[in-house]
Amino acid sequence: MAMRKSRRGPRGAAERVEGLLVMLPWLISRKRVKLSDMAKQFKLSEKELMNDLMMAAMCGVPPYTPDALIDVFVDEDEVVAEVPLMFSRPLQLNSAELFALQAMGSAALSMPGADKKGPLASALKKLKPLLPKGDAVVEVDVRAVKFLPEAQHAVANGQFVAIDYFSPISGTHSSRTIFPRAVFEQMGHWYVRADDDQSGEIRNFRIDRIKQFTPTGKTSDPIIEGVEAEVDFFGTDMETATLLVRPAAMRLVETYPYISREPQSDGSVKIELAVGSQQWLGRLLLRGGDAIDVLEPAKWVDLGKHTAQTVLKRYS
Amino acid sequence: MINLLALLVQRTKPLTLKQIRQELAGQYPESDTAARAAFERDKGDLRALGIPIELITLGGDQAGEGAYRVDRKSFELGDLGLTEEERSALQFAMATVRVGASHGDEALWKLGGERALNAQSTSLNIQLDDELMATLADGVVEHRTLKFSYKGEMRSVDPYGLLARAGFWYLVGFDQLRADRRTFRVDRIEGDISVGDRGSFSRPKDFDLQKAVPTEAELLAEGHGDDAVATVLVDASLAGGVRTQFGKQAVMKEHADGSVEFAIPCANLTAFRVWLFAMVDHATVIGPPRVREQVISWLTEQAGGR
Repeated sequence: MAMRKSRRGPRGAAERVEGLLVMLPWLISRKRVKLSDMAKQFKLSEKELMNDLMMAAMCGVPPYTPDALIDVFVDEDEVVAEVPLMFSRPLQLNSAELFALQAMGSAALSMPGADKKGPLASALKKLKPLLPKGDAVVEVDVRAVKFLPEAQHAVANGQFVAIDYFSPISGTHSSRTIFPRAVFEQMGHWYVRADDDQSGEIRNFRIDRIKQFTPTGKTSDPIIEGVEAEVDFFGTDMETATLLVRPAAMRLVETYPYISREPQSDGSVKIELAVGSQQWLGRLLLRGGDAIDVLEPAKWVDLGKHTAQTVLKRYS
Repeated sequence: MINLLALLVQRTKPLTLKQIRQELAGQYPESDTAARAAFERDKGDLRALGIPIELITLGGDQAGEGAYRVDRKSFELGDLGLTEEERSALQFAMATVRVGASHGDEALWKLGGERALNAQSTSLNIQLDDELMATLADGVVEHRTLKFSYKGEMRSVDPYGLLARAGFWYLVGFDQLRADRRTFRVDRIEGDISVGDRGSFSRPKDFDLQKAVPTEAELLAEGHGDDAVATVLVDASLAGGVRTQFGKQAVMKEHADGSVEFAIPCANLTAFRVWLFAMVDHATVIGPPRVREQVISWLTEQAGGR
């Protein structure tokens, strides 16, 4: 029931009505809201919002005299709805909205440092009776990680931080000074996005690979950069590999995003993956053992063998 | 459609279609057939918004005639008694936890809140698209059986709940094909999902969503290997992560160079291999001898054979 369901073109009548039935109670509870703020809040252009409000202002009950119409109008740059004649109560929450609230609540309360008896917890408790039999139908596991609160604090306070970072690709540690801009979780891992003095670029560092996290004492105005969509760690110029994966390794390989997937008649699957580094692929092949073969490129056909030889040295 | 809704909400008595057409003069076509079709379309659209129009059969002078009414209680959200502090907490949490679909924003608006327009310093991504979330939510919230194709087979599943873990959504429910409880990774569901009738199953009272999807540590312990626990020496660079995953109780010995010996479950040797080799040459199995020999055997086979 988005305010703009259709991605392109004009919204249908039902979609506009649906939007109005959400917007009107929201507006009536506030009485006056700046037109531009309201348009932004509901993801509409100001023109679209004006048109919807004009449509609402012409609706009501017979005899359609001014006192029987929905009392909404635009006064200079403000939208006004001060007389709650009708549609002053919001619509009930539908299943998807209840689900979204439950998912968000479960995740937020699982985050390190969350106040499990605070206002969020009490708000969710008040929403619980809306679920059938009070079921918790959705839960989110959030992995705790050392230095996460420190990274959040550094973003909020514009702190420069000295870190010791381990790169599994090269197997080396590096000391860097970073200026964190955002902290985000993706695919089960926490990252800090920061200006990196070593590369001169903005980089994403996996927080569980940070071994030391020490504020330098230097600060600047915080730059808060929201990470709104999934970060593409692969890019377009990355090499690819085609693997033949047998069922025993399917669960392992399927944890990574793939480019193409082609089931074979014997139950195996031909999968094309973006390869972050040779070390990364070597690790995957080692974990999968004889259930994964590299079909292409030729240079990586024996990579699993070479990786196993390296690890075997630790046991000699 | 809004005028129809306003009329049926404001009038205390049910109205026949004839009365509705009189009241909403000019808003429905002249022809009875076309007016009926337009009214049915409006009725359907309102029902889709969660606003049911009831049909009442009248008595007395109008005996047998159908009349329509809308009960506000059937579609209006009651006062939940949320405080401003609680509403702000919901807004902040929704801005931090990105569920992807717009249903979260819509829920906030209905609760009188606002979606955050500023960038947030922390974000957690557990994204599902609008349509998929709506379908799955219908299943788990309203206890509707879901039908979908999974690994090439049609499944009919009574969905008990959804769990987001390590970047994936898992649907847990009773799989009628296997006649047992099963877990499905949502991104591996093939094609469309069809949704059954409301209230088509009951969730078992003892169902625990968290326990239904084993963690990696639990998977390692679920097996029939001769040895239940292995001692694994992990280099300093990765020891912190292993400590976080298995807890302090798994630490057996800390070495001066920062490396740590851990007690790791290994009853499920296949899962143990996958876990151990993720650390490549930054971890070594010290014992028990049988597990160490098995690891060396795997490595020797892979190093020499392929």
